[in-house]
Amino acid sequence: MILEASDINKYFLEPEKQQVLNGVSLNAEVGDLISIYGESGSGKSTLLYILSTLDTKFQGTLNILDQPIKNLTPDELANFRNKYIGFVYQFHFLLHEFNVLQNIMLPALKLGIKNAEEIKEDAYVLLKEMGMQDFAKRRSYKLSGGQQQRVAIARSLINDPALIIADEPTGNLDQKNTMIIFDLLKEITATKNKTVVMATHNLSIQKKSHRVIEIIDGSVRL
Amino acid sequence: MAQSAFNKVNLFIAFQYLITRRKQSILATVGVILGVSIFIVMISFMTGVNGFLDDAVFNGSPDIIISKKSVKSATKGVFGLTIPALEEVDDIDKLLSQNDNVQSFSHQLVSPAILISDAQQLPVSINGIFPDEETAMVDLDHRLIHGSGFKGLQKKNSVLMGISLAERLQVTAGDELKMILPNGKNQQLIVAGIFSFGITTIDNIRTYVHIETLQQLLGEKPLITNIHIKLKDREDVSVKTPLEQSTNAINVEDWKDSNKTIVIGNKVRNVLTWTISFALLLVAGFGIYNILNSTVIQKRKDIAVLKTMGYRSKDIVFVFLVQSFIIGFTGSLFGAFFGYLISYGISRTPLETTDFLIASTYPVTFNPLFYFLGSSFGILTSLFAGYFPSQKASRVDPVTIIRGI
Repeated sequence: MILEASDINKYFLEPEKQQVLNGVSLNAEVGDLISIYGESGSGKSTLLYILSTLDTKFQGTLNILDQPIKNLTPDELANFRNKYIGFVYQFHFLLHEFNVLQNIMLPALKLGIKNAEEIKEDAYVLLKEMGMQDFAKRRSYKLSGGQQQRVAIARSLINDPALIIADEPTGNLDQKNTMIIFDLLKEITATKNKTVVMATHNLSIQKKSHRVIEIIDGSVRL
Repeated sequence: MAQSAFNKVNLFIAFQYLITRRKQSILATVGVILGVSIFIVMISFMTGVNGFLDDAVFNGSPDIIISKKSVKSATKGVFGLTIPALEEVDDIDKLLSQNDNVQSFSHQLVSPAILISDAQQLPVSINGIFPDEETAMVDLDHRLIHGSGFKGLQKKNSVLMGISLAERLQVTAGDELKMILPNGKNQQLIVAGIFSFGITTIDNIRTYVHIETLQQLLGEKPLITNIHIKLKDREDVSVKTPLEQSTNAINVEDWKDSNKTIVIGNKVRNVLTWTISFALLLVAGFGIYNILNSTVIQKRKDIAVLKTMGYRSKDIVFVFLVQSFIIGFTGSLFGAFFGYLISYGISRTPLETTDFLIASTYPVTFNPLFYFLGSSFGILTSLFAGYFPSQKASRVDPVTIIRGI
């Protein structure tokens, strides 16, 4: 089991106490592509932040790769994220001070298992898989939205993580780029045995996912 | 084992931010350069001025002067003036010889007199000295302008005088003049040497003759009016106590009593110099703080992304502290270099002298300690200025930032 979330409850305390997740449980196996959808404010992004270990202030149990997340210190959590979780967001979040290749390399440099040359080679391979090999030395802000999102996906894969968390990765793209990005994510689940948990409003994406979970007022409807 | 934040990756990120935000980095570095260089220039210059005054006033004068408190033994002169002679000179000498802090001491006979040259006649105060004793007290050789120093007084009819007095009398080394003492006796003297202490008030009045010349003319031998003392540690004037306890008949005045205005002036200048200099570095620090703080605000998104990738809070702190260290280090290095260049320029600049000070160029002290202090404080200020923005950066909550986009 890659992901095991059980009875997750989450409250926002400001401006007044409000329950945003109500007993959410979710499991994901190797190779799963799970789409989470729901209205704005339904709690789907909050659930993703918890699943990605960025938000640890919740009630319930979360195990990733059989590791209870709540037992980890902040530093251990950071290392865990670095090694086992990849992120793709609606707004790609590439760093403008670095070129495309360097952006992809950053998580692997942090992990420190391979040397810089090996990491650079890995980054080139990923860029090639994304069809972006000609843009390696380019500053990230000089790319189109779809290109930047492909770089973000490459960056999420550089450490070969088991789990990819994607928060509306196509939300800012046109239909053509949306399908390119989704196809890439789906291919990752098939060829690289990654598990992808993705929030999306896009119905065509939902239809092509292995599993769809609807969040209504903080609760899951399967 | 937990990975240290001091690693190549964090250094790479810090350098990348510095390089790509070139304008801000250069601006912050220039701030430190200005702070450090001005700090060094001010400290070097003000210390130079203080040193010059110390050298001129304190090194040209004894640290302690013993004189007669009230007139008991006196030689009456034709003008009705008296010479206050010291008694128990042997006892005082013995006491001084036993004190570890006394470097040397000399005996003097000081008398008012009138010097008459071909051009002028002026009232002066004549110092009768033993040349060998006085050589240990005052380094006259490096203050000589013309003629010879104390060794020139081996000829009994010789006189040494300050440059300002010589100019007023319009005499130079080798010229003759006449000295008239309060008892009416007179003596033809030859100017053996002319010196300058750099302070007109000294150079205007100070004259030296051999003590035996004066004693013979005043008719009493051995007549001593003053004992001058040079201390090993000038700050320790504790020898005054046993001297004052030994007899009620003497005045014991130390250099602080004699030069209160200059001592206070030095202190005020020191306080002002150090305060202003450190304030300048603090201002440079605020510049760095502002630039790094604005970087943190502008780069909150990047910090959030780095955290989602697994970069820890201490990694983020390190990335920003390294930037401030590099700015501080580079600024301090160039600041020390420019500080030296400017100080050197000042030390070579001709100084138009006033009536009080005589110096050919501005006095500047070149002390490696100032460069070390300026550079160290420059780096520390930069690190301090970078600390708060880096802490702020480390507290960035990625969820809040990502939600806010």
